[in-house]
Amino acid sequence: MADAASGSTERSVQVKLVLLGEAAVGKSSIVLRFVSNEFQPNKEPTIGAAFLTQKCRLEDRVLRYEIWDTAGQERFHSLAPMYYRNAQAAVVVYDVTKASSLEKAKTWVKELQRQANPNIVIALAGNKIDLVNPSAPSTSSTPESEDEADDATATPGETAASGEPESLRQVPRDEAEAYAQEAGLLFFETSAKTGEGVVEIFTEIAKKIPIDQILASTRGGQRPGAASGRTQEGGVNLEENNAKGKDACNC
Amino acid sequence: MSTISTHLRNFKEPTKDQLTELYFALPQSVNGGVNATGGPSGAAGNANGEKEKGAEAELEKMEINAVLSLGVQGEEDSYAGKLYLLPPYLTFASHDRKSSRFTIPLCTIRRVERLNARAGVYALSLALWHGMKIVVQLTSLRPTADLFCSLLRDALKVELQKGHMKLVKGFVKTCYSELLVSNATAPDGVDEKAEAKVAESTQEGSASDSMYLGGLGLKFKFPGDPKKLREASKTKLWTNYLRTHGRNLTLLRYPQCTRLIQVGLPNRLRGEMWETLSGSLYLRFENPGYYNQIIAENQGRTNTSTEEIEKDLHRSLPEYSAYQSEEGISALRRVLQAYSFKNPETGYCQAMNILAAAILIYMSEEQGFWLLEVICDRLLPGYYSPSMHGTLLDQRVFESLVHRCLPVIHDHFAEVDVQLSVASLPWFLSLFINTILKINGEKLLKIQDDGQFIHLMREYFASLGDSAHPHSSDPRARAITRFQELLLVSFREFAVITDDTIHSERRKYRSEIVHSIESFSKRSAIRNLRTLERFSKEQAGLIYDALFKAICIEPPPAVSLPPPSLLTTKDQPEERPETRIGLKTFKIFLSEICTWARTEKIVSNGFKDLVSGLNGVMFNDLMENIEWFFNLHDKNKDGYLTKDEVLTLSESLLFIFRHEIGDAYLGAVSRFMSNAFEYGDALLPRPDGADPDVEAPPIESNQPYINLATFRMVVLADEILESFFETDFPATFRLEPVPIMDIPNSNSGLLGGIWQNIATDDNRKIFNKFTDEIGRTIGKHQVFTRPAIGKYTTLEEPKARESLLTPTMRRSASKASLVSPTDSGPEPSVSSGSLSRPSGEALSPGSGKEGASVPSSASSEFAPVPSMLQAAANAAALMERTPFAIDDAKDEEDETDDETDVEDDGVMDEVDAFLEAHDSGLTEAERELAQDLINAEPVK
Repeated sequence: MADAASGSTERSVQVKLVLLGEAAVGKSSIVLRFVSNEFQPNKEPTIGAAFLTQKCRLEDRVLRYEIWDTAGQERFHSLAPMYYRNAQAAVVVYDVTKASSLEKAKTWVKELQRQANPNIVIALAGNKIDLVNPSAPSTSSTPESEDEADDATATPGETAASGEPESLRQVPRDEAEAYAQEAGLLFFETSAKTGEGVVEIFTEIAKKIPIDQILASTRGGQRPGAASGRTQEGGVNLEENNAKGKDACNC
Repeated sequence: MSTISTHLRNFKEPTKDQLTELYFALPQSVNGGVNATGGPSGAAGNANGEKEKGAEAELEKMEINAVLSLGVQGEEDSYAGKLYLLPPYLTFASHDRKSSRFTIPLCTIRRVERLNARAGVYALSLALWHGMKIVVQLTSLRPTADLFCSLLRDALKVELQKGHMKLVKGFVKTCYSELLVSNATAPDGVDEKAEAKVAESTQEGSASDSMYLGGLGLKFKFPGDPKKLREASKTKLWTNYLRTHGRNLTLLRYPQCTRLIQVGLPNRLRGEMWETLSGSLYLRFENPGYYNQIIAENQGRTNTSTEEIEKDLHRSLPEYSAYQSEEGISALRRVLQAYSFKNPETGYCQAMNILAAAILIYMSEEQGFWLLEVICDRLLPGYYSPSMHGTLLDQRVFESLVHRCLPVIHDHFAEVDVQLSVASLPWFLSLFINTILKINGEKLLKIQDDGQFIHLMREYFASLGDSAHPHSSDPRARAITRFQELLLVSFREFAVITDDTIHSERRKYRSEIVHSIESFSKRSAIRNLRTLERFSKEQAGLIYDALFKAICIEPPPAVSLPPPSLLTTKDQPEERPETRIGLKTFKIFLSEICTWARTEKIVSNGFKDLVSGLNGVMFNDLMENIEWFFNLHDKNKDGYLTKDEVLTLSESLLFIFRHEIGDAYLGAVSRFMSNAFEYGDALLPRPDGADPDVEAPPIESNQPYINLATFRMVVLADEILESFFETDFPATFRLEPVPIMDIPNSNSGLLGGIWQNIATDDNRKIFNKFTDEIGRTIGKHQVFTRPAIGKYTTLEEPKARESLLTPTMRRSASKASLVSPTDSGPEPSVSSGSLSRPSGEALSPGSGKEGASVPSSASSEFAPVPSMLQAAANAAALMERTPFAIDDAKDEEDETDDETDVEDDGVMDEVDAFLEAHDSGLTEAERELAQDLINAEPVK
């Protein structure tokens, strides 16, 4: 098994990905959904940043996402460059039920485009569409959803007004999509709670990333030693993740 | 836009007194203010709150060498150290600052006796509230000891008068330790050491069992299995210690205490011990009722912090049952909000919610509030501030400590380009960081990138509860958890890293961190501007710098809060942090960037508005400027200026021109006024049907009078004003990095030392650039205030210059008076040297260039003599003016193109030297000599 694992790491491409966005828009939840296909209603806020990995198969390639999930509160902003330095991809998340979060997302995009790796692939993700999705009104109006929905972190005013699901939406899809197109971003609307759209973000990013370039650059670097250390440390985890990753990406 | 904060700049190293206070966890003197606003601190305490302050100020502090021992016949050791009288506290620390110390409020001292022991021994016995007796032997010389005693007596008297003594009884009831000790003593009741006072407090304690404050854990259970945690035996150990060594307010910290802490605290006592050991207990004691008051006062208020708190309330230790109920959530909300209201600058930072949630399991809200205060302000200074400078600073310190103590790991990280802080940041609150690296040293050396690093650390943390030696045959060894191993290694191996080390490291890196934070916020402020208008990025940066400096000098006033009732409605704008600039700040800002600092206008908005505003002023053309100026003075924006407004406008112009030399500008303004009224009267709209020949009724001074078109006409009628609006006015706004900010405005100083002080290559370049723009504006006066424009110096019409030579000549004549007091000036030796030398070899190639280029730029008819004079005048200007002075001289043809010459340092030096020698007026012969010099070929 160890052989198999090391065999796969031989071919896998490491992609450093960073998640940015306002506080409580669901960055960590998106990662959690992607990495372990779980959803935790009241996720503790991220302090500084969290780090997770996930493998993902794209055609004949295996991508290994190294995901830096950053803290959203404004005062952690100054730490962000530490995390997005050398990132090949970024997911900037906003909350479709909160107009101000899109504004914050735009400043992040601006910052990334000026400060980060010039070839960085940026995706814009509007999260929490389960709260506004008319297709699933039953779930959003059941009593228990109040505790477990993403909106546990939303402001109370919004929760109170949840009688009419459509009214919660503050960011029209068209508007965000138009912005994404203009700024050259990938665009998705997602729900970490239902899983909708989450995997697509990572698949599309994988397609857009210049994998060959990364391969070429990492070969030049001091990678070989890295492989052995990692398989020992995270072997079990990866095995599980790998399976999920395959499921997810082949769909 | 986020705030521009300057508090990083205002950091001051703590004084020795402050350090002592910190060490003893005393409430800081700054916090003394809390008491004044703190409200009901007991009937007596509040009544004379003001007098208290005065009295405290008078009370003298003193320290004295002493030996501490417990007044019981036990096996306890004595400790030599220092006794500090820091009213209203008495504190002691052993010489090693580790083994023993106490911090006791004076009001808990019930009795002080001088012990009649052996001769030559000066000892005091202090009986404390809990019936415990401590003996301090004052080992200093007798007069010193006497002085100490009298000071102590005074301080105690003041405490008695303030009625603080009475507060103790009520306060200690809130502490669990009282119950613990009384329960332990009451049943067996045979403890012979228990004195009358203890018995008394015991009765009261049992009468009011439920008085003590506790956390949510009492109701929702404490985390962990009590049996596994060996709660019972811990409680017993602690009870014994607390009985003999005092508790809560009067706790003595002996080495045994430290050992007990390492063993662990029983859950019920945990909150109180946190409080006692951190010193937040004293804050709570000094400010009774403050917590409830701040909650009540800010009821219903919302701001950014409360909004952020709401987001995180349900995300704080969500697995703990109390935080799934409204009770726990609202307690958490109140504590976090109370903190953010008390410390608006810090507000709320993520991570504080988790901290507070953990604290509240073990303590009541009020206790938790004060503990949070102590943690955020004193124990982890700056960790949670908006810039997080404390965290960043300690990251840096940590990295350097790793470098020093674990060089192998450091080198390895550097080699594979792993940033230590990516991992260490989140767990920085842990005290065992270094140890973790050490224990995991071997694995760390295999790490190749950030990600692996995080993985390893996470696994290690997850395993903290596991056995450290799982394969050991000895069951006791197996029981040792890895956490205990961690503790052991950190205390044993890293004992070298003391608080002092960390303090000195912090000092070392502070400025570096501050600088990087400031430059970061500058960059993002500029990036977040919606538009740069017509500025370049660099120029926007300069505006920011000027603003930042202005804010540093004159901090903007605190935003006054609208009454809470207004803010409860949802449509009211929330309090957003925003940089507001008051009049004073703006004044300084303007004086940074433009040469006339006007003071009439209040601007109260942020960086963004400054950028767009300045954009308007600096890049507009003539017509736009006139319009801008017009609108500025058209107060009601009806498109007309009233007579009053015309006068105000003239005053503004006069103000701008107030430092100009000569009366040309004055004349221009008076012409402007007379023209304005003339045109105004002539163009006055007649009332309908009125006979045009009939004199119109005089118009009220507050009625619309002249419109923009008329104003424009009036301005264009005057050449000075026209040129002012066209070029000079925008030119007075300058975005130049001014190298020396605080050159004194003194004449002799400037000519004497300062030129040399600032004459680094860089400065000189800018300096020269300034001066050549200043042109020849040196008038007859000694200029103390710098002219802002300095273009026209006399009343004579500029176009009436019959000879362009005139101003130059005038200046060179006046130059004598200017420069003459400076014979001790910059380079006298050089100048005399150049004088005495034969003309040919005296001048370097630079002067040859000067001679060649100046005539070409000047009109041919004056060349070469005037050109030389002009260069001389330039040099005089150079020496005379501060680098601030910015004058526009573009339209004086005789000087148009000489920047290139003047920028040549070599030339300037030579001209300087020449001038030095000739500053007492030039004779014809000297001029010839000078001309020869200028025309001379450089010696090869």
